[in-house]
Amino acid sequence: MINLNPKSIALIGANNKPGSVGLGLARNLLEGKNKRKIYFINPFQKKILELKTFNKVSEVKNKIDLAIIAINAKIVPEVLNDCVQKGVKEVIIISSGFGETGKPGEILEQKIQEILKNKKIRVIGPNCLGIIRPSLKLNATFAPITPREGNIAFLSQSGALIDAIIDKSNSENLGFSTIVSYGNEMDVNLNEFLEFLEKDKETKTIIIYLEGIKKAREFFKIAKRISAKKPIIILKGGRTQKGKTAAKSHTASLAGSYEIFSGACSQFGLLQADTLEEVFDFAKILSWQPRIKNKISIITNAGGAGVLATDYAQNFGVETGNLIDLIGDASSEKYKEAILSELKKEEIGGIIVIQTVQFTTNPIENAKMVINAKKLFPKKAIVACFLGGNLSKKAVELLEKNKIPNYSDLKRSMAALNIIINKNSPS
Amino acid sequence: MLSFLESKKLLDSYNIPLVNQRLAFYFDEAADFAVKNGFPVALKIVSKNLIHKTEEQAFLLNIKNEEELKKSWQILEAISGKKEIKSGFEGILVQKMAQGIELIIGAKKDEIFGPVIMFGIGGVFAEIYKDIVFRLAPINKIEAEKMIKEIKGYKILTGFRGKKAVDIGNLAEILVKISDIISQEKNIKEIDLNPVMVQGKEINIVDVKIIV
Repeated sequence: MINLNPKSIALIGANNKPGSVGLGLARNLLEGKNKRKIYFINPFQKKILELKTFNKVSEVKNKIDLAIIAINAKIVPEVLNDCVQKGVKEVIIISSGFGETGKPGEILEQKIQEILKNKKIRVIGPNCLGIIRPSLKLNATFAPITPREGNIAFLSQSGALIDAIIDKSNSENLGFSTIVSYGNEMDVNLNEFLEFLEKDKETKTIIIYLEGIKKAREFFKIAKRISAKKPIIILKGGRTQKGKTAAKSHTASLAGSYEIFSGACSQFGLLQADTLEEVFDFAKILSWQPRIKNKISIITNAGGAGVLATDYAQNFGVETGNLIDLIGDASSEKYKEAILSELKKEEIGGIIVIQTVQFTTNPIENAKMVINAKKLFPKKAIVACFLGGNLSKKAVELLEKNKIPNYSDLKRSMAALNIIINKNSPS
Repeated sequence: MLSFLESKKLLDSYNIPLVNQRLAFYFDEAADFAVKNGFPVALKIVSKNLIHKTEEQAFLLNIKNEEELKKSWQILEAISGKKEIKSGFEGILVQKMAQGIELIIGAKKDEIFGPVIMFGIGGVFAEIYKDIVFRLAPINKIEAEKMIKEIKGYKILTGFRGKKAVDIGNLAEILVKISDIISQEKNIKEIDLNPVMVQGKEINIVDVKIIV
């Protein structure tokens, strides 16, 4: 079992050098210094940031729950041995230069496997960015930014992608329970992280970025069980032949045939996103809105937008109820009447509220109407599609702060609604 | 590769019927089948050493009468005399020509995913459209039906331009059985039912290739 909630951390390879991985990690770890003991290990530097350093983990008197190793791959076996001697429980090996680089790296990886044999110590990585758990103030990565707290978990085979995801999530009003860059899966693998998230109370939605998959059968068995309670969104890299070649050199694991993978996702109820944008679109609606039955009403102040939304609904197999066109001069009061009268209807699972900013439109007032309606009908889904840019920016921020997802395009809003609709239940 | 008779025996044991056919050694046997079951028929050389029938021109289709059958028989007899075909020669198959939509059903043991099953649209454009769907085997009938409905060309099977809808339930049962074979039979690596011709209630498995 993995714990990922250390009361003490040793950073092996902490560094003073500006721009180094060791400094990035040291800074991020200190953010949680009130929550746990932090020790920096570096035999060549006396002091790093505000802390006095140690030469080796064995010099630390107190126990160490987690060691983070960010040093040259060649000396990792020796340092790992120290960790085993010290009784460290979990280790994250950030260093690259293992199985993903070819033969010499593979030999090094085997050496580590030997050290780990019959030991209780658990190893995450190598070749990874580390883990982040915002609610515990634990950032054991060298990511330049820290994500917000939330209920989304993200497991990624790629480390660098995590940086982009965090950056984007902060501007999309999304927060995370746990972020894991799982690297080469030498010891703790993707499946074990999934089982960890299954039990994690904070996590409501799981996003996975993967290229190759190591224990495919077991993965789908576990994922099927979990996705019944916590939706799983998958973004798969290495779908094309060229992408696959890149995947092999990247993560030292074989990318399986994408067609089989995709079929298995649909067999076991996992959602597949096609783009990073879609990952966020899906994650947002899944963590903010309930599952609903297949009938939605469209409320708009622009006829054309309503027609487009109806077209997209048809393409996705989403059933539509009323299309209410409030016409260009619609007041917020008119919006409110239409929204409430549709949500009241038993057969309606949710609504999409479309707004284009016209002469008499009041985006902030409209956003407030939507937010109040959501409070009155928490079991129904409300999605906003406030189109445009600067004129509706403040309203969109208000909506999303209140967990109403807003999409800047009608097709995206319908694609998102489509995934929270339970198509098997009679509408 | 399994021989024709071995393949047939395996499929029989799983209750998977092949198209109405007879394995003949003499012309009279083929003629007898064609007369009893009606023209048009197809003739195909069956040989363990014949993997690509098209390249060797080892089959003739749409044979309309006895005279054509005689000529066709002689052509295939000559080809089957070739050294490499002869060593694995099992006979010449005479089959009732099956009509309808061409489908492919396949299965294999994948090195990453284990036993998997595939279903899709066949025919000359199959490689271009790549309208295929996979599942991890074994599957049940509900999953098989879901799989069939997932192909892009599903509408073709539901009846269009006055054509009768294909019996999805029966088709699904074949998928279930093939998924059972690939999951249960340890020595089998790949199964190819191609083409499977479907029309209304009729499902005809025209060609089988099983790799061990």
